[in-house]
Amino acid sequence: MGGGLSRVVAVAANTFRETVRERVLYNLVFFAILMTLSGLLVGQLSIRQDEKVLKDIGLAAMDLFGTFIAVFIGVGLVSKEIERRSLYLLLAKPLSRGEFFLGKFAGLVFTLLVNLGVMTGGLYMTLVATGRGADPILLTAIYPIFLGLVIVVAFAMLFSTLTSSTLASILTVGVVVAGRFSDVVRNMRQVLPGAPAWLVDGLYAIIPDFRGLDFKSQVTYGDPVPGDVLLFVSLYAAAYVAVVLGLGLASFRSKDFQ
Amino acid sequence: MTWRLAVLLLVLAPVVVWSHSKLDGRLGARADEEVLYLWTGNQVRVLFPGFEGLAADVYWLRTVQYFGGQKAFTQGRDFALLRPLIEITTTLDPRLEIAYRYGAVFLSESPPGGAGRPKEGIEVLEKGTRNLPGSWRLRQHLGFFHFLYLKDAHTAAAVLEEAAELPGAAFWLKTLAAELLSKGGDRAASREMWQRLHDQSEEGILRKNAEQQLAILDSLDRADQLAVVVEEFGRQRGRRPRDLEELRSSRLWRGPLEDLRGTPFRYDESSGQVSIARESLMWRPR
Amino acid sequence: MEEPPPLVTRGLTKSYRVGHIRQSFRPALVDLDLEVRRGEVLGYVGPNGSGKTTTLKLLTGLLRPDAGEVRFFGEPLESRAWRHRVGYLPEHPYLYDYLTPAEYLDYAGRLFGIPGAERREKRRELLALVGLERSADLPMRRFSKGMLQRVGVAQALVNDPELLLLDEPMSGLDPLGRRLVRNLILELRRAGKTVLFSTHILSDAETLCDRVAVLRAGRLVRVGALGEMLDESAAQMEVLVATPAAGLPQIDGATLRETLGDRARIEVGEKDLVRVIGAIDSAGGRVLSVQPLRQSLEEYFFREMGGERGGGNPWGEG
Repeated sequence: MGGGLSRVVAVAANTFRETVRERVLYNLVFFAILMTLSGLLVGQLSIRQDEKVLKDIGLAAMDLFGTFIAVFIGVGLVSKEIERRSLYLLLAKPLSRGEFFLGKFAGLVFTLLVNLGVMTGGLYMTLVATGRGADPILLTAIYPIFLGLVIVVAFAMLFSTLTSSTLASILTVGVVVAGRFSDVVRNMRQVLPGAPAWLVDGLYAIIPDFRGLDFKSQVTYGDPVPGDVLLFVSLYAAAYVAVVLGLGLASFRSKDFQ
Repeated sequence: MTWRLAVLLLVLAPVVVWSHSKLDGRLGARADEEVLYLWTGNQVRVLFPGFEGLAADVYWLRTVQYFGGQKAFTQGRDFALLRPLIEITTTLDPRLEIAYRYGAVFLSESPPGGAGRPKEGIEVLEKGTRNLPGSWRLRQHLGFFHFLYLKDAHTAAAVLEEAAELPGAAFWLKTLAAELLSKGGDRAASREMWQRLHDQSEEGILRKNAEQQLAILDSLDRADQLAVVVEEFGRQRGRRPRDLEELRSSRLWRGPLEDLRGTPFRYDESSGQVSIARESLMWRPR
Repeated sequence: MEEPPPLVTRGLTKSYRVGHIRQSFRPALVDLDLEVRRGEVLGYVGPNGSGKTTTLKLLTGLLRPDAGEVRFFGEPLESRAWRHRVGYLPEHPYLYDYLTPAEYLDYAGRLFGIPGAERREKRRELLALVGLERSADLPMRRFSKGMLQRVGVAQALVNDPELLLLDEPMSGLDPLGRRLVRNLILELRRAGKTVLFSTHILSDAETLCDRVAVLRAGRLVRVGALGEMLDESAAQMEVLVATPAAGLPQIDGATLRETLGDRARIEVGEKDLVRVIGAIDSAGGRVLSVQPLRQSLEEYFFREMGGERGGGNPWGEG
């Protein structure tokens, strides 16, 4: 068992190294920083908005760019390995498919954590440097953003075991968009009264509720996310990720690499 | 070979810029307006799942710039997009309190200081009080605007009383409401309201606007005083003065004969009325 | 109790599904019974598409067999214990291009559970072995195919495997590299390791292998020592001749195999040897060397596979 864990860690560490050395990451972080700077500018142009705009942009950048990273690097994790066959060498070693899969997942999650950490640090530094406080309430919204990104990674990996990298990317983006419109799904019967309740409820239960993880607006108004909400959010995300990851694992295990 | 390429680029670049500005002049704001007329707040909201707060910031920025642009560059434009912009902004972020506050002022103030549509301003404030039911400030604004712009003392008083019930409300709301009901249409009430608004506002458009309104009230006061002196003149001499200069030469009045912006008052000899001149910046429709 | 053989397969079968709508099955490997003996070098040869790579993928768990059994050192395929004793080099290995060879070997070592200090030592050793010490810290993005192949060989040896599975190990290598790998295989055999390598370069199989397994259309056609398989009794001799300026005349009993500039290679039956040499001498040619000619694996191959004999010449019997 200890051997298995150390192998997972080895894969995770290598995955982290991979994402760091892929220049895509740097480009995204650069754009995120650019966004924050533009936030300063927009704040100046508007009326009494500077602090709010800064926070809005900072959080939006974390959400948006984090999602990009989760989708495109997440899909690449498995797809690229399969398409380029770098996988073959590894699987011949005492590395099980499950250990490989989980290790890749852990590596990307860690990358996202670091990424988000850097952007959070940047946001706080900007807030302090421009004379406003480093409001810890923001963290109660950043944590759910992180959980949402982990869900996206799980989907990206699942889809990449099932189909080509292009299609997997499209499907994952589709899931992200659907999840952000979860309130539209829930209220679908207002727009389409004919839609059967079981279908609507079923869809609502299956689609990841990214809107439910979105507390960006309220923290910019100084409302922290309550502790019990954070607890349920954590539980939901953990369980959801476990299911999606489990499906991905099963798919990966049964694959024939022709 | 490369210098020919460079020359080509140097020639093309200004063509790009020139043709673009020509194109801009032809199309420009038209496309903008159409989009804004067609799209409601809820439809715009669909475009930004998860980023509504940021989108609201951007739309508020556009609103402010639109307002400033209309005032500065256009005489006779009708602030047509103001309402849709505020609508979209407040639908994207219902908690954006300043959008309601400033938006209401932008809409209610008479031109050229605003759109001159106080009914719409009040609708904006009503949306604000619906979305931010705990804000006594917004409700206070709503009450004030009913009185200041629509001259409706009863509704104003009712709203102010509601506002007074909210947690954290200022103590003077109740007394002001009572004042409205007893005297109704009184300048003193107006003055108090504008003074409150002035003190509550942060530096900028709103505060300047309140100062302006207070100056108008002061001008009206002065006009009233002049009217009293005109009557006194009439009693003393048996006729009304021909113009306000006569008042001064008769030593019955030693103060200025203009409103606070320096525009001379209008004097109607037949009725003895002294009022703010039509061409004055202080002039407001009744 | 005798140690179980490094690798045994029984009835190993795999078919690929072809087509999306109307599916049919294309058999890639049918009923493979193969045993690899301890300490031998087994060549796995066959034309393209004969199932060599499929076999190796089945062995390393990249494909799941439709039927049959595989045992490594007596352990079933699903167990992972045997993987510590086996090294694998796929054809065209893709190694992460953002890593250096040193980093890759370190990663591989971690997956085997080799502790840090030992990994460092192994890295150095292996990179020296494959001649990459100077490129140890360069990202593999810039490596040539040959260099990547060498890293591939190195990573197959990280765990000191008792059994090596090599899929076309010479591919992409220059003559120096090929010699390196050849010597390596011989060295491994000397050290008592077992090697299974697939190749379509028959001369390599000839020089290196104790036994050869021949695959055709997914079936094992022949397994055995080269000596058994090839016809040694033919007793033909190969004579290398410096031709005279006027050219070589036709000599009865002699077959011209190849002309290289002013040299010629002639095949002669043992009983005619002396007479033919005399005839060459009379014609003004000079005999440079004489050696027995063993039927080459290539010829055997073509004969068995029914292909055209290569190296046709206008003179002499074909």
